[in-house]
Amino acid sequence: MRKERVVVIGGVAAGTKAASKAKRENPDLEVIVLARDKDVSYAGCGLPYYIGSIIKDRKELVVREPEEFEREQGILVLTGREVTRIDPTGKTVRFTELNTGACHEVSYDYLILATGASPVLPPVEGITLKNIYSVRTVDDAEAIRQLVDEGAVQKAVVVGAGFIGLEVAENLTLKGITVTVVEMAPTILPGYDEEIARYIQNYLVEKGVAIRTSTRVCGFTGNSEGKVQGVKLSQDVLPAQLVVWAGGVRPNTKIAKEAGIELGPTGCIAVNEYMETNIPGIYAVGDCAENTHLLTQEPVWYPMGSTANKTGRIAGLNVAHKTKADFLPGVLGTSVIKLFELQAARTGLTEAQATQKGYAVETVLVPANDKAHYYPGYRQIITKLIAEKETGKILGAQIVGEGVVDKPIDIIVAMMSCGATVEQLARLDLAYAPPFSMAMSSTILAANVMLNKLQSKFTGMNPKDLVTALEKEEIAVIDVRTEAEFFVKAIPGALNIPFNQLTNRLDEIPRNKKIVLVCKVGKRAYLTLPTLKKLGFADVAILDGGIEAYPYTVE
Amino acid sequence: MAEYLINARGLQCPGPIVQLFNQSKQCAEGDVIKIEVTDPGFKRDVQAWCKKTGNELIDITEKDGVIIATIKKN
Repeated sequence: MRKERVVVIGGVAAGTKAASKAKRENPDLEVIVLARDKDVSYAGCGLPYYIGSIIKDRKELVVREPEEFEREQGILVLTGREVTRIDPTGKTVRFTELNTGACHEVSYDYLILATGASPVLPPVEGITLKNIYSVRTVDDAEAIRQLVDEGAVQKAVVVGAGFIGLEVAENLTLKGITVTVVEMAPTILPGYDEEIARYIQNYLVEKGVAIRTSTRVCGFTGNSEGKVQGVKLSQDVLPAQLVVWAGGVRPNTKIAKEAGIELGPTGCIAVNEYMETNIPGIYAVGDCAENTHLLTQEPVWYPMGSTANKTGRIAGLNVAHKTKADFLPGVLGTSVIKLFELQAARTGLTEAQATQKGYAVETVLVPANDKAHYYPGYRQIITKLIAEKETGKILGAQIVGEGVVDKPIDIIVAMMSCGATVEQLARLDLAYAPPFSMAMSSTILAANVMLNKLQSKFTGMNPKDLVTALEKEEIAVIDVRTEAEFFVKAIPGALNIPFNQLTNRLDEIPRNKKIVLVCKVGKRAYLTLPTLKKLGFADVAILDGGIEAYPYTVE
Repeated sequence: MAEYLINARGLQCPGPIVQLFNQSKQCAEGDVIKIEVTDPGFKRDVQAWCKKTGNELIDITEKDGVIIATIKKN
């Protein structure tokens, strides 16, 4: 009997995962992987760390070599093969051997598309100059590292302040290179609300990374050897011996589209929860495939390694068993990043996204510690929670700080995946001992602050709203910290009345304006609230997150 | 010239900077204050404080989660 054949197009994370799982679950299948690149099954997310020499050898990045797939799993991996055409009627795939230019055709019973995504390089002046790289393949990373290790780079420009761009900026900085990050959007790190993105930006600037937001690259200048020399912006030129283009990727969908495979509104291949495309027997996984947002049920695109591996596994299972054996109901866009000692993580909707989707939201910004405050080595982390006002349902979270952020974000992810409310989050029985957490963990603390807000125990004001209100002179900012703390760092224009002096200095508080109370993290301001209310001040808010989470100008 | 040692470990709100502020008020010019702190925000605070007051940050180290800052009053 002829063996049924699975052809997988693409051999990085999702493709090799799908192939491995299909073969493992059903050894009777013949599995062939066609990959364009010479490297397969490599850790794309590890490339910035290879540039920084944190990962020493190239081979450490590669999970498996093509020969290993054949020897150990009986999977045929053909590298340097570019698929040019899919014929869904005849169930064949045509491909070119990139080395020789020879064309071949292979038939399939099942086809899994894992064509990935590719960097989008704009057709600007000088884009073809030497030493302008994207960071997508092991070869890219190798070339950048070689240039850096040769000592040929003093100044580098990274275009794009997403994950890869910032991780590369960090790694180049650690190698002693002066780095400027240029970003088109007004803030860095898409997926974070403005005040958190700005907090991270301030941190990076403190670490010596220059950041230019709302800035577009117009072109590049080169020297007589054809090497890049400068990055042209609208106003000036940044000198650079290396440019890393991390300005975003686009899904590789050309062959799918030409074969009549449907694309979704995001421009990626549309799939259902079983990773099936509109054509029976054809699946799509990884970065080329669309995702469904778990909360909004809308099509989204999160090209993440974590999702790629999951979707690959699902398609492999479903092909192997010829049933709907496994499925992925959706994703939350969860991600985490380390930049120097800072960590940042996010999940779900941002405040801006939730508001734009029509949710009535409440948010909190809560600084806390990742360990007990008396246990040396603890670090501060700031938790932003976004919840639906009416129901208390958790819509999203962002956590940032030098402490542990991946644990709290994963707790919130788990709860959100079950459709939980803030109240349910606050009641979790989480692990506690001083070296691991506060007795009331940062997550539970944030949930409790949110509950206080939802129950109208106080009104908050987000840092970004405070800045606008201050400019419009709509508010009076009263800082209730001690004189010493105020002296070190304060919001310009704030009046310092330490909270134990409040009743004696009442006349200094304006009666004709909204009052915003500021302290270090929000607690003393909250404790001051009843006193002020009793004294007849009706319109009083607390600066969310206090001075610790305030990312705008202080003096 | 006197030397003062402050144990401000475990303090976070209002924080060790208040201890330093109060001690410094009682110090004479040339006195040295050594302060032990576990609040990681103190590193930034003490630098800003010295800059604003004109006191000198002679040394700042961190070991096993404890920050030790040595300040000379000017």
